[in-house]
Amino acid sequence: MNTVMSRPKFLSFRIYEKYKKIVVVFILIVLLFVFGATTLPNFLSVEQVFMTIKLASFTALFALCQMIVIAGGGSGLDLSVGYTATITAVLTASIMDGKNEPLLLAVLIALALGVMIGLANGVLTSYLKLPPLVVTLAIADILQGIVNAYVAGKAITGRPSPILVTIAAKFTGKFPNILFVLILVTSITMIILNKTKWGQILFGVGANERTAYLSGINVKKVRCIAFTVSGVLSSLMGLLLLGNMGIAFKDMGSNYVLPSIAAVVIGGVSLAGGEGNYLGVILGAIFLQTLTNLLIAFGLGDAGKWLGFGIILFAMLSAYASNRRSR
Amino acid sequence: MNEVSKTGNVFYTFKGLLLKPEVSSFLIFIIMFVITATLQESFFTVKSIVRNINAFTPLILLAMGQAVVIVAGGLDLSSGAALSLFTCVLTTVMKRNDPVTGIYAILVTFAVAILVGMVNGVGIGYLRIPPVIVTFATSYMWLGIALFLRPTPGGESVDWFRAFYKIDAVAGAPAVLKTIGTFIPPALVLLIIGCLLWFIISKTRTGRYIYAVGSNIESAYVSGIDTARTQMLACIINSVFIFLAALFFVGQNQSGDARMGGPLTLKSIAAVVVGGISLTGGRGSVYFALLGALTLSFVNKIIFFANIPNAYQTLVSGIIIIVAIAGPAYVMFSKPKQ
Repeated sequence: MNTVMSRPKFLSFRIYEKYKKIVVVFILIVLLFVFGATTLPNFLSVEQVFMTIKLASFTALFALCQMIVIAGGGSGLDLSVGYTATITAVLTASIMDGKNEPLLLAVLIALALGVMIGLANGVLTSYLKLPPLVVTLAIADILQGIVNAYVAGKAITGRPSPILVTIAAKFTGKFPNILFVLILVTSITMIILNKTKWGQILFGVGANERTAYLSGINVKKVRCIAFTVSGVLSSLMGLLLLGNMGIAFKDMGSNYVLPSIAAVVIGGVSLAGGEGNYLGVILGAIFLQTLTNLLIAFGLGDAGKWLGFGIILFAMLSAYASNRRSR
Repeated sequence: MNEVSKTGNVFYTFKGLLLKPEVSSFLIFIIMFVITATLQESFFTVKSIVRNINAFTPLILLAMGQAVVIVAGGLDLSSGAALSLFTCVLTTVMKRNDPVTGIYAILVTFAVAILVGMVNGVGIGYLRIPPVIVTFATSYMWLGIALFLRPTPGGESVDWFRAFYKIDAVAGAPAVLKTIGTFIPPALVLLIIGCLLWFIISKTRTGRYIYAVGSNIESAYVSGIDTARTQMLACIINSVFIFLAALFFVGQNQSGDARMGGPLTLKSIAAVVVGGISLTGGRGSVYFALLGALTLSFVNKIIFFANIPNAYQTLVSGIIIIVAIAGPAYVMFSKPKQ
């Protein structure tokens, strides 16, 4: 499917393409807010907006893992992100047990878990050339299986460290603390992807595997590293989720998997790989969260929420697709 | 000297044979079949065969439909949600005391099935959105509509609908049909209908177009094949397979459930992969999806018989999928250098 004939793109045209989608998403978010503000009381209050952004931050951070893998190309997709977070949260909750001292140990465990899971995904997909969709799905099954087995017959004990709670759940004034994390992560991501050779290599591999290989880049290694980074980040996300929710439970992360992909798509990143603008992805996450809030606020319940979610996603995909068609 | 190269050659061909996805998936199937047959003492009795067919049919039908889409270069993440939607439509149209409504329900649901296939097909074929993401979006649409129709599991079903599950259970059924039903379960009939459907399609031009589009969409397009239409047809065929599975489900449970099909989506994809069909499209036989689904179902049975606690089942099935798809790849990479 990703054999769409490439055509020469001029730099100015690419910049225009790059920012056009971000502007579109931004306008859509504004429209949603305007619509919400005119029909619902309190929709545009500062608290409500920051609450939306706070909830969207978690999706956005998961979407970063997703974007890195997708940008590496080769139909890369990481369906195990949420499950990685769950297993980290479940395993570290009892270690932290509401105290700050074991936080370092918890972080180390999270890093180790993340590297292991990410490497497993990376080796299986890039070195054994197995389809990422199936591999990450099976890994997700295995992780959920471990969690189920660990949870079976006993309650998950333990609470997150107060530091984690402060970072993930608390507000500074009206400003959610998780937003500082998101801003920090965004800056680092933008610098690495746009200003260092690492970003160039990742996008190069995603855009054209063959060219990258002929230029002396170890394509397999790059994709393997992309999966490992995704594993580590999503494992750390497990700690933040635990901090936000206060307790660990066995389905805590799995709800973020599909929204993370949706945010990447709405953010205007091609699933074919080779590109990725994290700002767009963040806007995509905010758009999804605002839409969810609106649909819930209208009392449409689950049915309306999912139907609206699906229709909007389908419409946006169609809109994006229409300017990608070459025939 | 001559002998050495000869044995090397034999070794290479053996590995080459194992390398063929069809052969390795068939071997895995045989192994799972033998293990299940040894573990279950009553495996070869009519009763247990019928029960197994009943248990495996939905996944087999979904996997075969999925295989058609995958061979055409697509992927359907919405098949489970579509299955749930069809059961909800069936049970909404049917009224318990009015046998005619069963026929209406079948017609309406069939129309819905065609529509569902067309929407997926428009996304994959005409708009050329990546299949993973467009069917992900439509899966939410199906889920939403299904929840509108049936917020909680339930609904009505006419009595004769049980014939899709067990002819015995229908009060007014002729005795001849009942006797046949004990040996040939309706589920098997549905499976045969599915296989026949694909058999007929694979003999037509559309069948060949599906493979052509899946293996190289650009050259298929340049050769004058309407690629978008072909992919849409593949999606519609998939929908018909899901429709057959929905008939069986409602026959079995007499109710609709908006969330019932969800877990089956990923299983159906896994079954296709275990059946040796390439996810990149264009390669593999749709019938092998049946084999893949059977392998996965046997694995579940083995897990059951091995007395592995419920909690470990997801874990074990995940590991087995990895082993099943990584095994052939490992053989490929350990092959002697020429």
